[in-house]
Amino acid sequence: MSTRRSFLKKSLFGGLALAVGGGGLALWPTRRDHAPRRPLKVFNEKEFAVFAAVAARVVTVAGADPVTIVHNIDDLFVTAVPEAKRDLKRLLGLFDNALAGLLFDGRPKPFTRLNAERQDEALRAWRDSKMIVRRAGYTTLRKLSLAAHYGQPSTWASAGYPGPPNIALPT
Amino acid sequence: MFTSGSELKGDKHYDVCVIGSGAGGAIVAHELTKAGFQVIVLEEGGHYTHKDFKMREDQAFPTLYQESGSRTTKDLGVSILQGRAVGGTTVVNWTTSFRTPDSTLDHWKKKHAVGGFSVTDLNPHWDAVEQRLSIAQIDLLETNRNNRTLYDGCKALGLEVSTLRRNVKNCLKSGYCGLGCPVDAKQSMLVTYLPDAVAAGATVVSRCRVDKLVTEAGKVVAAECSLIGDDNYSATGRNLTIRADRFVLSAGAIGSPTILMRSGLSGPLVGRRTFLHPVIGSSAHWAEPINPFYGAPQSVASHAFAHRGEGKVGLFLEAAPLQPMLAALATSNFGEAHAQMMAALPHTSAHIALAIDGFTDGETGGTVEVRESGAPILDYPLPPVIWEALKEGLRQLIKIDLAAGAKEVFSSHDPMLSFKSEKDLAQLDNAAFETGRVAVFSAHVMGGCKMGDEAASSVVRSNDLRHHTLTNLHVVDGSVFPTSLGVNPQLSIYGLSHLMSARFVGEWKHG
Repeated sequence: MSTRRSFLKKSLFGGLALAVGGGGLALWPTRRDHAPRRPLKVFNEKEFAVFAAVAARVVTVAGADPVTIVHNIDDLFVTAVPEAKRDLKRLLGLFDNALAGLLFDGRPKPFTRLNAERQDEALRAWRDSKMIVRRAGYTTLRKLSLAAHYGQPSTWASAGYPGPPNIALPT
Repeated sequence: MFTSGSELKGDKHYDVCVIGSGAGGAIVAHELTKAGFQVIVLEEGGHYTHKDFKMREDQAFPTLYQESGSRTTKDLGVSILQGRAVGGTTVVNWTTSFRTPDSTLDHWKKKHAVGGFSVTDLNPHWDAVEQRLSIAQIDLLETNRNNRTLYDGCKALGLEVSTLRRNVKNCLKSGYCGLGCPVDAKQSMLVTYLPDAVAAGATVVSRCRVDKLVTEAGKVVAAECSLIGDDNYSATGRNLTIRADRFVLSAGAIGSPTILMRSGLSGPLVGRRTFLHPVIGSSAHWAEPINPFYGAPQSVASHAFAHRGEGKVGLFLEAAPLQPMLAALATSNFGEAHAQMMAALPHTSAHIALAIDGFTDGETGGTVEVRESGAPILDYPLPPVIWEALKEGLRQLIKIDLAAGAKEVFSSHDPMLSFKSEKDLAQLDNAAFETGRVAVFSAHVMGGCKMGDEAASSVVRSNDLRHHTLTNLHVVDGSVFPTSLGVNPQLSIYGLSHLMSARFVGEWKHG
């Protein structure tokens, strides 16, 4: 409980980021395989690339597009409360932090520089972590990716969902 | 009239200012306006009507839900679905209508010094509201497969189960209650008491956020508001000050304590004892189509486990609708494992167990905090007694699904556990039930401004919900409940609001 309290005190992921610190390993740059298609509203390009790399492993159903997914999330977070924006940005920084990867999981590489198999391992490591904040981080990125994908009508067929019924609306 | 804040000048003095237009505020606004009071209702959310309800999750969640549907507890352990619009959560709830159980009212009287709030007090008010909202029991033949499988499983195990009462009129049972009713069949506050109030002369202001209450000499004299822009969230920079003789705070179980705290009116009890009916779910695959996205979303419930004995948290069981986005969030795993589960959606059921929190000794519930930006956050680390109940709830749901003929049942753990027969239930003995390892959500927020006759242990008096020290401030919403309810909250709040409105009219008409 004391661990939970000390992390929550600073903001959800702020404490964890401070604990990791900013050594040389932490500065290993993000690989930007996924570039935005239009100007961003909340994320910077590095955060966008990290989130898209995560989304690419979370949503692997045919037709899923991590760039579209993260643009949808970027749009959604324009109206988020400032603390939620800050926490999400910190989480993305931490997720791709090589020093965090080394300290937590013995994986001294940014998430974006891992191959797909290792990225899945990294996601599972966050999911199965003993630390509540890491499990929360995994859940946050997973849920946002899935919601941003399956909210779109173009994805409904993959879930066998015919869409809303055609009903006569009152005038 | 319904209006946006930009059309108001703020130079008028009202008899009553009601803050919030949901289950609590709408009925107060109507009953007081009808009695001749000049009433203004301030609502933070937007004013949407059936024309805006397109049965699409990607549109409904950002516009109709708090924090675009992404509200959670502080540790992200519990997702909280709460409405944010003219009509409040009644616009997006699943229409389930229960009166407050006698056992809950008895508990409040004995343990929380709640007086003047008995079944006898409430019955005529429930009668009146139920008539206005066309609340009636759904026939078993009208339930969808998602609910019917819950019913059949309970029956197979000899458990108490029944169909629900719903606040609908000419319902098409399309299944989109949670996204705003597209045909105005749901008798929410948006289409009943609020238009009634407006017809009687009330003013309902949308996109008007109350930042703080201003007090002078033991009374609230004004509500200072920020007007919200077209994006539904950002302040425009324009402010409004509403002055009134009396103020009724009905901003919900997170919103009401937040406004008090932002106003420097917190004290040691405001925001405390917040309860959620924390929910755990099972999903199951069936040979037959279930189509959990269509049909009345909630039409069956079992209270067979509501009273589990001294020291144990009770449970009730219901079904939940699954349209793709909600289904994706409710489904564990990622990548291919998640995609496979989603492909089976038409053959998937979703049943839920809701923990009746707040009744056992030692349970303190959650605490509402105000963040630097002024936005609220609920800190509610679930205690062991709740986790024990959720584990038991999941066990019972799995047994019910299997008894009804499910091919395979899944827990909401990540990674999920699979159950094909009762012998697989042994997996639960070693499964982790803790934050972030199993999905928990809530659609019922209660408490935070507890009522009671003892000022030392409550925020408002129970007989008229008046603040103990601010003599013209009343709190009328689910925040006054001393515990959770053991049933879906809307009708409890309606009854409370109707009862209190009658008392207000009686008292205030005479000065």
